[in-house]
Amino acid sequence: MATEALRSQVGKKWQDSFARLNHGEPGISGLMTFSQASAWVLLTDFVRPRDLNDPAPPNEYNMELVKYAFDLVSQCRRLPAMLEAYLDDVRQYFYLIKRDVDQYMEQYETSLDPEIISRLVYRLFKWFNAWLPISDLGQTIRAAYTLDFQTQLFAILPPSFVSGFKAYCASTLPPFDPDVTQRTLSGEIWDIFEILGLLDRYESVIASVGYEHIETYVLSTCTGKWEAAMLPELRNWMSHKIVPWMLMMYARGAATNDDAVAMLASVGSRFDFHMTKTLCDLRTREIFDIIIDFPESAPALEDLKECLQRVDQRAALVKSLRKANHKRLLHPGADTKLILSQYVATIKCMRIIDPPGVLLFKVADPIRRYLRDRPDTIRSIVANLVGDEDTGDSLVDDNEPPQPLHQIEIEDYSDPNWEPEPIDAGPNFRANKHTDVLGTLVSIYDSNDLFIKELQILLAQRLLAITDGNTEKVERERRNIEILKIRFGESALQVCEVMLKDMTDSKRIDGHVQSQMASIVHPTIISKHFWPMLGSDEIIMPGQFQTFQEQYAKEFSTFKPDKRLRWLPHLGAVHLELLLEDRTLEVDVPPLEAAFIELFSEKNVWSIDELMTRVGPISKGAALKALLTWVDKGVLKEEGDGSFKLLEVAETVKPVDPAPIVEEQKPTVFPAQQHQAEQMRVYWKFIEGMLTNLTALPLERIQAMLHFAPGYDQTIEQLSAFMDAARREKLVDVREGLWRLTTKA
Amino acid sequence: MKVNVKSWHAVAQWQWDTGNDQDDDPEGDVCGICRVAYEGCCPTCKVPGDDCPLIWGECSHVFHMHCLLKWISTSSSKQQCPMDRRTWVTAERKVGGSKT
Repeated sequence: MATEALRSQVGKKWQDSFARLNHGEPGISGLMTFSQASAWVLLTDFVRPRDLNDPAPPNEYNMELVKYAFDLVSQCRRLPAMLEAYLDDVRQYFYLIKRDVDQYMEQYETSLDPEIISRLVYRLFKWFNAWLPISDLGQTIRAAYTLDFQTQLFAILPPSFVSGFKAYCASTLPPFDPDVTQRTLSGEIWDIFEILGLLDRYESVIASVGYEHIETYVLSTCTGKWEAAMLPELRNWMSHKIVPWMLMMYARGAATNDDAVAMLASVGSRFDFHMTKTLCDLRTREIFDIIIDFPESAPALEDLKECLQRVDQRAALVKSLRKANHKRLLHPGADTKLILSQYVATIKCMRIIDPPGVLLFKVADPIRRYLRDRPDTIRSIVANLVGDEDTGDSLVDDNEPPQPLHQIEIEDYSDPNWEPEPIDAGPNFRANKHTDVLGTLVSIYDSNDLFIKELQILLAQRLLAITDGNTEKVERERRNIEILKIRFGESALQVCEVMLKDMTDSKRIDGHVQSQMASIVHPTIISKHFWPMLGSDEIIMPGQFQTFQEQYAKEFSTFKPDKRLRWLPHLGAVHLELLLEDRTLEVDVPPLEAAFIELFSEKNVWSIDELMTRVGPISKGAALKALLTWVDKGVLKEEGDGSFKLLEVAETVKPVDPAPIVEEQKPTVFPAQQHQAEQMRVYWKFIEGMLTNLTALPLERIQAMLHFAPGYDQTIEQLSAFMDAARREKLVDVREGLWRLTTKA
Repeated sequence: MKVNVKSWHAVAQWQWDTGNDQDDDPEGDVCGICRVAYEGCCPTCKVPGDDCPLIWGECSHVFHMHCLLKWISTSSSKQQCPMDRRTWVTAERKVGGSKT
């Protein structure tokens, strides 16, 4: 395009205009009389935006002349008009820039390479500089120009530029992957950004780039990593990687370090806040699993604690944990033991996060309410108290010194260290600072009595399961009870004390009896009012067993003349040796099994009904179970007609390998519910009496009247359950809410 | 087949031999003074059995020894059995030792 013709034409034009301005005078003398009109023309021409793509060299102007013209225009007060005309020109020619921009953006949209954005920005800067009025024209014009240029520029930038710009900013950030080299930071381009007004306009974009970067980094490095404190590491990363970037972005102009610090103060704290918040949100989402992993996850909790101090997310944490608990823990599929251990872990975790216990209180409430409704909660807690050996994980930390329960704390306002309750504590909040984990568990229920009862039942089970006079085990139980005494108080566990004493007494008595007359019987002699209900299915021990019992009882009465023994034959265990024709078996079996096999030594085939008449009132199910035990051991064989045959000679072809039998200890001790029903039975006489006298009564009335009975402590719900049971037994009848006795036919 | 019992870990309850053999009542008899079962213990004791023994009267009434001694030591008792107002005489036990 750069043709000779054009060049000469421009040159000629210049000469023409100069000649015109000079009025044909020699030298520049004509300019002395330079007219206002020509000055205007010169200036507008001078400042007119030119096309960068136009290869023609820019017109050469005599700067002196221009300056003179400018002064002239200025004197004539035509400067504003002149500025207007100039800006109009800028607007008019802006399509040139738009063309360029469109071209670059098109490239970017196809390749998505942020580098193109930077090239575009450099190009824009070139345009900007090319059209920039010379500094001689004064700051006002420049400012007006800059503003107008920016306005025009923003108007033509396509929407995709924002995302491109964002991508470019992101590409300047330190990458997470150490292998990827970081784009070299050039301060220059940021200066350009600033001049073009992009920084101001897209500040939020830049900040969001920073936020997103931090967020991705935090999520990628911290998710699921709870074994180490992440916060210091993150801070370290921020100061090494993000702060340099921020310096370039926000503190380019800083001359000294202090200046930079001051400039970064607000934005820095915003970024730090964002990092903390991201981590906090992450940990809040993960809190349930963190608690599961406790104590391995303790560092994560420390992080969370620090985060919560900076970010007010306490409510969110409570909400998230409650939701997670509701979804993952408090449903029928979860084992009570599991819920308890998670609850204990929650207690421990929340104490780390929030020592005053406000969060714990809020989180724990649904768990506690749920546990209260579970029938086996007490049993699980108590089982844990006495320490099941098979499960290694105890809810209660042994290192925690046992403390007495039930110290109702009265606020001591004269305490100089007294502190009010935390600000977000609810009205029901009770600070239980001093209670240990067990105390918290026990406080799920209003009274300790249920625990004590369950404890007795459990202790009875465990003591009776001790077969071979194993004093060690008894001692361990004793130790347990001693510890529990500290918690529950001496008197509450008096009954347990008696039970333990019975154990040692039995051993002593047995020692004495054995010295008088050796016997294979080693009984545990119990004080019946101090042991829980032990069931009452009486079985009559046949044959030699009866003899053993009688001999022992006789010897006992000789030793303790004013006492007698009353056998509880369904309890205990028997070690037997079976001498069969071809084999000898040694087995440990419950008494019922022993009784049956003893009967088989009388004759070889028994029907199940015959057996049952011999051993007394037992259920058919229990009898069948006992017989099947022997079938499994290959001693008996079930004949088709409900009778069993002794196998003197082992069957040669065994149809199936006898499956390994898990010898289950039959729960011979009734659980607490049954215990309650048993208690209720006492009051049946009262109920029967009042219904006889008053024919029909509503439930409330019965309850009210029962309160006159000594020691009546049942709730109306318990009474209602009992009455329902009585109705099923056809003892009473209910019509329109009135209970009456069924008339005996 | 022969069944040899090697050892038998049995469970039994002890009971006071109160003389009346009709112990059908599963709840057992109670002391006439404190209304606690004989096999339980009197209100001042914590451990039943030999630590809180019974006392047998000639009049065939049986009490916790502690309960009766406390009763006898009050002036209003006039040394009488609280059940039948006969002068309390501690019975000699038939089997071996006497209980006082």
